[in-house]
Formats: sequence, structure tokens, C-alpha cells
Amino acid sequence: MLGGVFHAAVLFLVAAGLQLVFGVQRILNLACGSFYALGAYTGVSAVGWALGAGLPAPLFVLVLLAAGVALAAIGPPIERLLRTIYDRDEAFQLLLTFALVLMLEDVIRFVWGTAPVQLGGVYLVYGQARIASTTVPVYNLVVIAAGALIALGMGWFLARSRFGRIVRATAENREMAEALGVDMSRVYVRVFTLGVGLGTVGGALVIPATAAMNEMGIELIVEAFAVVVIGGLGSMRGAAAGALIVGVLKGVAIATWPEVEMLAIYVIVIAVLVLRPAGLFARATA
Amino acid sequence: MARALGLAAVTALVAAPWILPPYHLTLLLPALGYSIALLGLNLLFGTTGLLSFGHALFVALGAYTAAVMTTHLGIKAFELVLAAAAGVAAVVAVPVGLLCVRYVKIYFGMLTLAFGMLFYSFLYKFYTLTGGDEGIRVGRPTLLGQAFEDLDKVAFLTGPFYYYALGLLGLAALGMHRIVTSPFGLCLRAVRENPDKAGSLAVGVRSYRLAAFVVAAVFGAVGGTLLAVPTGLADPLLAYWTHSGNLVFMLLLGGFEHFLGPLVGAVVFIFLQDQVMSLTPYWRFVFGVILAVVVIFFPRGLMGLLAPRARAA
Amino acid sequence: MMTSRRRFLKLTGAAAAAVGLPAAPARAQSGPVKIGVLAAKAGVTAPVGESGLRGVQFATDRINAGGGILGRRIALVVEEESSPKDTVERFRKLSLSDKVDVVSGAVSTGVGLALGPVAEEMKTIWLAWDATTQKGVEETMPKPRYSFRSCDNECEAVMASILTAKNWKGAFRRVAGINPDYSYGRDNWAAFLAIMKRHGIEVEVVSELWPKLGSTDFTSHVAALQQAKPDLVFSCFWAGDTPIFMKQAHAAGLTQGTKFVLTTGGGVHESMKKAFTPEGVLLGYNSMYFEHPRASALMKEFVRWHHEQFKEWPNYESDHGYFTVVAYKAAVERAAKAAGGRWPSVDQIVAALEGVEVESLSGPRRYREDHIMEATFFQGYTTHKNKHDFVTVDPVEAMGTKQIQKPSGVGLYDWINSWKV
Repeated sequence: MLGGVFHAAVLFLVAAGLQLVFGVQRILNLACGSFYALGAYTGVSAVGWALGAGLPAPLFVLVLLAAGVALAAIGPPIERLLRTIYDRDEAFQLLLTFALVLMLEDVIRFVWGTAPVQLGGVYLVYGQARIASTTVPVYNLVVIAAGALIALGMGWFLARSRFGRIVRATAENREMAEALGVDMSRVYVRVFTLGVGLGTVGGALVIPATAAMNEMGIELIVEAFAVVVIGGLGSMRGAAAGALIVGVLKGVAIATWPEVEMLAIYVIVIAVLVLRPAGLFARATA
Repeated sequence: MARALGLAAVTALVAAPWILPPYHLTLLLPALGYSIALLGLNLLFGTTGLLSFGHALFVALGAYTAAVMTTHLGIKAFELVLAAAAGVAAVVAVPVGLLCVRYVKIYFGMLTLAFGMLFYSFLYKFYTLTGGDEGIRVGRPTLLGQAFEDLDKVAFLTGPFYYYALGLLGLAALGMHRIVTSPFGLCLRAVRENPDKAGSLAVGVRSYRLAAFVVAAVFGAVGGTLLAVPTGLADPLLAYWTHSGNLVFMLLLGGFEHFLGPLVGAVVFIFLQDQVMSLTPYWRFVFGVILAVVVIFFPRGLMGLLAPRARAA
Repeated sequence: MMTSRRRFLKLTGAAAAAVGLPAAPARAQSGPVKIGVLAAKAGVTAPVGESGLRGVQFATDRINAGGGILGRRIALVVEEESSPKDTVERFRKLSLSDKVDVVSGAVSTGVGLALGPVAEEMKTIWLAWDATTQKGVEETMPKPRYSFRSCDNECEAVMASILTAKNWKGAFRRVAGINPDYSYGRDNWAAFLAIMKRHGIEVEVVSELWPKLGSTDFTSHVAALQQAKPDLVFSCFWAGDTPIFMKQAHAAGLTQGTKFVLTTGGGVHESMKKAFTPEGVLLGYNSMYFEHPRASALMKEFVRWHHEQFKEWPNYESDHGYFTVVAYKAAVERAAKAAGGRWPSVDQIVAALEGVEVESLSGPRRYREDHIMEATFFQGYTTHKNKHDFVTVDPVEAMGTKQIQKPSGVGLYDWINSWKV
């Protein structure tokens, strides 16, 4: 169960980035998985460098967060690229993000090579906890807490802050928001960068528990899609609920009937489509 | 102009076995298979306005049908294999299509992607049935009852099988031409341009989309059987989502507005991949850049450059 | 555009006429010997492909420095191994377009299954590095002529199972398997269970997990294993998923008191850090162990070269690659001697490859008459007593394929059941 929640926390961050960008810009970003992978690789390099420079080990999680956030700097130039085709059919936007997937995969290969890259010795810095007779590394709980905090933070941000209101207004009615004097291009840059940042932070946070591999992004994107279909495209609450469902379902399937680990997710996806086509927390209807 | 280009393409393809070295002919074979699959994909995208990101499902379905028939059932007649592939694709496409055509635009793309991946995990997981990651071998078929036993595989592929595939592409192109110029094709275009209006004119929007989906699936499966014979294997990667992405890439590269787009896209993609792969291990990056350039600057593809005024027939 | 395309067609046409096509792929008799190499460059098999390529490169450099094969230098034509479809096309390119003399490489099982028949069709010798599954050997290619296979996929499972039965009998009963979800994982796990049975060891399978090859998150799998409380965990992970699994298993306390059998984890030995890999794990290095105390001078030279070049310690795939090149050279020379000193034909080389034995990095290796490789496998129990930050094994156990690979023409399980124990 808890293993599933850990996976869900990471999945949520990637799916939230996907949802945010889709909600506002109507772009389905296939490259969200690549940002996640990029975050993971950068996290390894950043922490390796920081520990080498004498940083006390318990602070490594801050370095990971910083690396994830800093990496969001690739958001604006990529958004600039996407901006050239905002007025075109959505299919072109999807394809441009597919082009990004191809390019980023090779960028990672070029910079970090093909061998898996891992972060030595920090996973258990915070020790282990015993929960219901099983041992769990505290870092997993840190990631779950971080995922939950970011979810709550996003919720507050969208509901309360000025920029959040603009984002919601734009998602609901772009023309109206524009007519009311919202500078659309600035909103887009910020939203896209925020979306990238959620993915890169997710990748950076997960890395102490795992190792970065070339295809980790391409694999994750499919699960992130399952999350948004289940939760409802464009909905932040949907991303959270969908991530929990997918993560926990996977955990339960592995514990009880490992053969259906992958299939179970798709079965839920199709069930949701048949029974509740717009997803569990649909805002935008198809 | 369009007619002249078409004639030139046909002449080049017919003459290719006398001109091209055998290796390049073997490269043309998948291009012919992809062309047929792309004709179907373009009926969805170019004509009906629905972008499928899971078309590889049907390509893989065709390949696996060929594998099961030639390896497990011992049926070598390629005509039967093609008919079976088309039939299986149609049977699968109806329920999948029923779910997918309730949506348009990006939702349709996502759903088709999900179904493609569902099929991929089925192929991968159901080890005893599908051979898992190893897939199933595809035996050498007979063409119109002829086994061509005196030819080795390369001679068979670059001779009889090449012309068979070319003939099939010709038939597929004619068939598709008939479809898009028929009243049905006009309705599909109406559905794309203005679904509400088409709906009010008593055009059953969803059933038209479904019909297009099924036709596209059949074309995809036929293309898939053609791909499987030269490879000699049907494997799960054929259904993976990046393969679907490559199909859309090819279509866009060729130009979705032009009838020759699928053929040009498939040929250029495959020959380009052949060259770039040998030049650099980072060929995916090069392809990403090419795709980005095409999407941003040449959304109408190579045919859009060649024949700027020629709209899809 | 059109004119240039026409001109291109005309040009290639003229070229084709000049060389007199269509004709059977004629191999050059002078100039360099061309060896085509299929090495994975992306995805989960990329590190394996890279490692094999290094072995090929090392062998090629040495042979060229020593005057080549019968005076002809070796030139490598490297292509990428990817999906079965694309790799079949690459193989055709190497054979038809580059006109290579032999193709070395390929590690993925699906690719191996597709390439076998293509090598036969093209009459091009193919020396595989890996990718030898039961299905590939028994069903698809009963009597290959031009394909030469690696050792059976199950060798490492057979060896690990024999060692487990010998050293841990009576110390475990509840077993769990976590293996990659494809033929390799399935076959290895089945072989392990069959051998336990043959040895009369009663085991209770408490969990069978099949994560996808190349997974990066095993927290749920580890939780399932914790619930199942096995005495022994068997895994044939060979890629980057091995250290991830051990890391997460260690963090959850699973490595305390549970025995681990990692048949092939030595493939990524440098990432098996001491921080999360305990001592006493049975760890397999397939057919080459980089720090063997009785390593030959050749092996030591290779390890040194590898570490200088790549700042890494080599793994077994290098030796598969090395062996294919050296075996090819030996076969050509043997066949040439029989053919009166002339460069032998492809069929003569095939005949000479059958039964050829050479000194490879890890010791003597040979091709059996049925085109299967024979080598020595290395496994041992992990130790932290070394100069590295990752585990090594001490003592090192070695077993020859005569002992751990089924003989020609016998089914794997019939063979196991015929053992005297």
C-alpha cells in the first residue's frame, strides 16, 4: 500500500504538470515524462556535486528541490518554441512535443551516457521507520509528504492567489480573460514553466530511491496519461485522485495478482471511459 | 501537376527493381507497407480531422495475424492472410472505435494511445499466447498460389513480393481515392469542418467517424502484414506508442493534404533513417529536430512544398 | 527536387549496372576484412551493447597490430541494434550494401529470434553475443548454418541453482522470485524451480513477481516480498533494475536475514554499491569476472585497457564480443590452411567455426558443432573487502558450460531431470 502511495506521489507531480499545461494552454505535453527524466539525471549530478563540495548529507533533499526548480528554466525557451504554433490544430502541438521527446532522450544520452546513474548513500540518511510491522525508509515518507504539500500548495495557489485566479479564468474562457486585459503570453510562459518544474521536481525527488535510466521518461508518460484519463483531463484534483488510484492499484495488484500489474491500470482507464467518459473529476467536457 | 507527380511516382516504383540495388529495394518494402497504413491514418486525420496516436495497434494486429496464420495455422496463402488481417482489424476496430469516436481532438488522440498501449501490454504479458517480447515468427507466404521456391528470400522479397506489395498499394490508393471522393468522403469532410452543422443535416456524425476509424484500421492491418513479411517476426514493439508517433511523423513529413503524402512520407522517412542511423548514434535527436522543423515551418509536408496548390483529391 | 531525384535514380541505376546487379553478395577477397557489428545504443540494452562493442574493438586492435587476418586488416562497420524490424534492416544493409564478411553482435531476445532466419537467408555468418533463448534454439533454428549462438540463457540460473542446492540446502524453504517479465526471466525462474526439485529440495513459492524489464520503481514489489516473508529471493535481473531493486529492498530491511540469489547482477557490478548490497549474496557474473584472482595475462591487459579508456571495470558482454572476433580469425586461418592458403569461402569458414577453440579473455572458449558457444561461468558470494565502493565476490566459483548447459539436441528440462544428484 505505502509503496503504491510513494509511486502515486511522484506520478502526481508529473500528471499535475501535464494537467496544468493542458488546462490553460490546451497542449497535451508528451514531453512531460522527459522533463521527469531530466530532473532525475540533474538531481544526481547536483547532489553529487554538492556533497563533494562539503554539504552535510541531510540537506541533500534541499539540493534536489533546488535542482528541480532550477531546471524549470528550460520552460520559457521551450514555450517559445511551442508559441509558434498556438494557432494551429492541436495535432501539431502534440507532434511538436513528440519531437521534444525524441530530442531530450538523446540529450540525456549525450550528457549522461547510457549506463544507469545513481545517487550513492543518501537514501537512508533519514533512517527507517516501522509502520504496521513493515520497515519503510523515512525518505519515502518525505517524498509522499512533499507530493501532498505540493498538491495542497497548488490547490491553494489556484484557488487563492491572483495568478491562480488568472490561470483558472484562462482555463475556463480564454477570450474572456484576454478581453479583461490578461496578458496571455505571460500567463502561458509562467504556466508552462510551472508545469515543467512539477515534472523536474518529481524526477529529482524520486532519484535517491532509484537510479536514472534512459527510458524512464518514455515509460512514465503512459502512466501519467492513465492518471489524467481517470482523473479527468485538466483537473488538478483529478490528477491527485488519479495518481492515488493508479499507484495504489498497482501496489495492490503486485501484492495479490502480479500478472495483471500493467493491465489493471488500462482496465480501470477503459472502465472510467465507459462509465464516466469525462473522468472522475472532469472540468472540461470533451 | 498532381497528376504528373503521381505518374512519376508510379513509374519510379515500377522501375525500381531494375534500378535500385537489392538493399534499397528491401528498404522500399516497409515503405510500401507504411504507405498503406498511412493512407488509412490520413483518412482519419487529413479527411476526418481525428489524430490517432495509437494507429500502431492495427499495424501490429496485421503483423500478428500474419504470424499466427503462417506459423501456428500453417496457412501460407498471402491472400488469406490479408483477408484475415483485414477482418480481425475490423472486428477489433468496432468496439475500440465506438469508445474513441465519442471524443475529438486531443481526447481522441489520448484514447487511441491508451488502446495502443493496452494492446502492447497484452502482447507483452500474455506470454504463452503471443510469445511475449520474442513475438511470433512470420513465415514466407505464397503469392497467388505461387511459392517461388527457386528464389532465395532476398530475391523473393525484391522480386515477386515487391510487385505484389506495389500492386496492393495501388489497389489501396485507388480504393482510398474512391472513398474520399465519394459522398461518404464528402460527409467525412463535412464532419471535420463543422460537426454541429453536419449533425443538424442528419449526418450521423459518430457513425461516420466510426466508419472512417474502421476503414483506417483495415488499411493499418494490411500495411502491418506487408511489414511483417520482410522482418519475419511480429513483436510487441510494433504496438508501442512511439511507433504510433512515428506513423504520424511520416504522414506529416509527406504532407497530409496531398494524396501522395503517405507514400512520400514513408519513403523519405525510411531512407532518411537508414542514412542518419549509420552516421550518428544520436539519430533520434536529428529526427526530433526534423519533426520540429516540419511542424513549425512546413506543416503541409514535402508534398506541400512540391505541389503547393494541390489539395487532397 | 524532382530533377535531383531523377538524377539520383539514374546515378544509382548506372552504379547498379556497373557492378552487375542483381547478383549474390560477392565478398571482397582483398582489402580489409569487414566485420559488421550490431550494438545496442539506446534503451535498457545500451550498456550491454556498448560493452560488447568494446570487446570487439579490443580484439580488432590487437589483431590489426599483429598483422590482421592472413595479412588483411579488420575494418568494423558498426550499426545500431534496436527493434527487431529495424535491426533486420540493419543486418540486410551490412550484408547487401556494406558487403561485410561476418556480422557480430545483438543481445536482445526478440532481435535474436528475428535475425537467425535472416542470417540463413542472406548466407551471412552471424556470431551472436547473447539472445539465446530456448525458443530461439529449439523451435526456430533447429539446424542453423550461418548463425552461431551464444551460451544458453539459462546457464547462469543453472549454475546459481546448483550452488544454492549445494551450499544452502536445508537453510531455506520459502522462496520468492522477482524476474524481468520476458522470456529470459521466465526461463530462468523455471530452471531454478526445476533444479530445486531435482535436488529434492522442497520449496514453497511464496511470491512470483514479474516487473517489466527496466523498471525503476520496486517499492510495491518490495512491499509484496515483505508480506510474503521468503527465506530466499531469486532474481535474474541483469540491467539497471538490479541495483534499484537491491537499494529499495535494503531500505525496507528485506536484505536482513533473507538470502539473495542474483544470477546475472554482475552485468552491472559497478552499480552494486556496498551501501545497499550486503555480503553473502550469491552474485553471478555470467562468463567473465573482471577481478578473477587467477586471470590470464590477456585478461589483465584487457581490464587495464578498459579501465584506462572508459574509467569502468568491464563486464561479461565484452568477452562475448571479443570471442566472436578471435574465433572468426581462427576459423579463417584454419579454413585457409585446408584450402591451400587461399582466402576461404563462407561455407569453408562456417565449417571451420564448428568446433573452433580459442583463448578468450576469461579463458578457453569454443563453438560447439551445433553452433552454441561454450565458456566458463563465474559466480560467488559477495564481499565488502575490496578497494572499490561496490561489492565483489570471494571466493570465485567457476563452472564450465559442459556442466551447466544442456547438451546438443536435448530439452532443458529433460536434461535437468536426467541429472544424477
